Amino acid sequence: MGRNPAAVVKGSPRKRTTSFDGSFIPVERFVPTCEIRLKWPIPVMLSIVVGKPVWTTYRMEQKKNGKRNYQLKECSIQDLKSDSITLSNPGALSSGTDNRNIVDDGSSQKLSMEEIVNLRDEGLSSKEIVGTLIENSKTFHNKTEYSQQKYLKKKEKKYFEYVTVRKPTVRLIAEIMFRLDQGKIMGLRVDTLSQINTAVNLHSHGKYIVYESGCQGLASASMLNGLSGEGRLVLVHSGNYPQKHALLALNLTEEQENCLISVNIYNLLRKLKGTCGSETQTASVDTTPVKEGVESSDVSFEKEVDSSEVSVKEALSPGQSLENVTDTSETDVKDQVITNSDQESTGSGKRKLSESGNDDGSAKKKSRWEVETDRAAGLLSSQKADGLVLVCREHPSSILNALLPLVAPSRNFVVYNQCREPLLDLFTELMKNPNVINVRLTDTWLRYYQVESNRTHPLVNMTGSGGYLLTGVVVDSGEK
Amino acid sequence: MICENYTNIRKILLFRPHDLRDIMSFHTHKTSIEEGDTLMLYLSPSSLLTITVNSLTKNKHGATVENILQTTQGALKVRNLIGQKYGSRIELSKGSAYALHPTPELWTVTLPHRTQIIYTPDISMILFQLELRPGCIVIESGTGSGSLSHALIRAIKPSGHLYTFDFHEHRASVARSEFQSHGVGDFVTVAHQDVCQNGFGSEVERKADAVFLDLPHPWEAVPHAVNAMKDSGGRLCSFSPCMEQVQRTCEKLRGLGFVEISTLEVLIKEYQVSARTMSVMDLDSINANDNGPNAVWKDPLKIVSCNAPLTLAGHTGYLTVATLPPLLSRVPIDSVNGTNQG
Ligand SMILES: C[S@@+](CC[C@H](N)C(=O)[O-])C[C@H]1O[C@@H](n2cnc3c(N)ncnc32)[C@H](O)[C@@H]1O
Repeated sequence: MGRNPAAVVKGSPRKRTTSFDGSFIPVERFVPTCEIRLKWPIPVMLSIVVGKPVWTTYRMEQKKNGKRNYQLKECSIQDLKSDSITLSNPGALSSGTDNRNIVDDGSSQKLSMEEIVNLRDEGLSSKEIVGTLIENSKTFHNKTEYSQQKYLKKKEKKYFEYVTVRKPTVRLIAEIMFRLDQGKIMGLRVDTLSQINTAVNLHSHGKYIVYESGCQGLASASMLNGLSGEGRLVLVHSGNYPQKHALLALNLTEEQENCLISVNIYNLLRKLKGTCGSETQTASVDTTPVKEGVESSDVSFEKEVDSSEVSVKEALSPGQSLENVTDTSETDVKDQVITNSDQESTGSGKRKLSESGNDDGSAKKKSRWEVETDRAAGLLSSQKADGLVLVCREHPSSILNALLPLVAPSRNFVVYNQCREPLLDLFTELMKNPNVINVRLTDTWLRYYQVESNRTHPLVNMTGSGGYLLTGVVVDSGEK
Repeated sequence: MICENYTNIRKILLFRPHDLRDIMSFHTHKTSIEEGDTLMLYLSPSSLLTITVNSLTKNKHGATVENILQTTQGALKVRNLIGQKYGSRIELSKGSAYALHPTPELWTVTLPHRTQIIYTPDISMILFQLELRPGCIVIESGTGSGSLSHALIRAIKPSGHLYTFDFHEHRASVARSEFQSHGVGDFVTVAHQDVCQNGFGSEVERKADAVFLDLPHPWEAVPHAVNAMKDSGGRLCSFSPCMEQVQRTCEKLRGLGFVEISTLEVLIKEYQVSARTMSVMDLDSINANDNGPNAVWKDPLKIVSCNAPLTLAGHTGYLTVATLPPLLSRVPIDSVNGTNQG
């Protein structure tokens, strides 16, 4: 049935969607059996969710045969309530007032892990199992009521997995992506992502340019989500295809798809200069796989796999040329810059990408490219853009210089970077640009709270940085 | 027929001379400045003004005179703005300025304060957390100075609608006329109403995708918010400066079946970037025969420094956000355990 608009969210029945325990799972490409990542990837039969309303919650049940093979069982609200010992039985247990009598010698639970798992596999309900756990706990009745509840919630989570299918939204997708691997989205945290749309003054009917590399389409998805049918988003990228991970996850409507025009930066700039093949820039054509169309695209993927180490170094070196940017473009997709250990997942990322390349890589692909490039160039040459956003792994200077002339006066631009240093470079450069005003370099700080009566405090863990933004306004000073 | 139209137009022209022309300014971009436009005059990063382009004004004796504005860069004859392009440089007697399109963000930093207002870092997070997009129906209370409202409208227009409520009659009516003159009146309904006492009214019952509360007693409005939300559920966000308000609100939210309840705080830090030259002492060339404290210098070094501000807003308010599941999946705990509805 193709792509499915589901985001699967795991949580205990009590807190069905605990957003901040790292348990969101996106399911973008829907296949009958899908690996979903809870604490680790688990193969789960997902076919059951087809045709069911979103927000339905399922209990994950181990299949009789395979050890780590799960199927889903739909839960009604009644099931959830009776499953949940914390929900159905609050405060009905005897409790201590403090922890003076609790000695943790590691033997407070008399049942072994194995015995507990067996109970579960015998099909006992969570209520029954947790009940057994309490019976076999030496310390439970001495715990304070608060820590009893905490204990129960923990056990519930440990032995019972629930998933809830949700409609994907930018908020859920951004949170999932950040939690799963913030390296893959350049540490673009939700608060920073939210600032981008306001900083660029995103109107539903506006015409915006976004240059994205290395954040899986997240910034584009968030902008596109804010456009109505009249709006246009020109997604500029430096490879064969833009990174669309987040855009695909958003399950775009046809209207939204029509708002999106993706174009390779070299093709766009060449087209706008109207000098196909005669500019000095075209020296980079040889290393730009796009130009050659489909035949060479697979080859170039291979090449990039091999050259990725090198390309990264080039990308980081200050005197980089346009060619080097091209080389790194696909590398960026796989996060060589951040990754130091995760070779395997990197590899699979690459495979996926070239597969998707093959999917639509028929002969008509080439013309589609040209059509999109023409569309983008036509749109931007007839009237300048209402805003520009850069979220990229490359040094932003050259890209900003190339794209800023496409932005109309009195419109804003925003540059995101995970590091402050490239934005400092940019800041000093822009200070000399007479046609840019109101340049600001900011970051935001984000803190979550646990709010419970008498136990309210900031969460113990927080993220150190959500990245940096440089913002400014394009004006027409009359000077060049 | 024609006559009737004519009289209507004359009426408008007589009483609200600018409505016809500036009607689009916060809604769409335009190229040139016209009489009646609202625009932002950028003098320096720390000096911005919102002005309405009225060539003429009344002096203190009530006589109609040429409108001349005194700015930090010198005097500006407002009439001279007309016909200039947005984003272009305006020469003033002691310097220059830029005429910028109005945006909700620039409005937030220049608007006349009638209440405490919410600023852009929080506003951005609110729009994001409420999952607003074009077409959404959103409820806001209180309207206050309309700082947040302008951003809410931008996020949901053209097909969505903002219903904003304030129990202060004057604030409600000033906000209403600001929305009109900013060209976004069609996307918003301002109601003068006490939402804690009377809720959000039947007009929005089961219609809202999102509800935003900035009230002294937000928990009192939460049950009304549930009534206003669509059967398919929605998002709620409450902004409160004090933790006590947050606690009571969270309790209420949990009781009424909200999930994904989360409280967070966002602060912005703007860095001072400056290019500096630092002198470098030469301590290598010291030798035993030197006497006296003669400093010897190497070539100075150029650096770009980036400093956090000396003081900054360390607290604005806590944002409490939550999801109301669709009707069929809601489990209000209050009803399960029979605890009080308060
Ligand atoms: C802090 S202001 C809101 C500021 C607004 N968010 C902004 O950004 O400009 C709070 C407003 O809520 C209004 N208010 C307080 N209690 C109310 C109630 N029960 N019903 C409606 N409005 C109320 C007050 O009149 C005041 O204007």
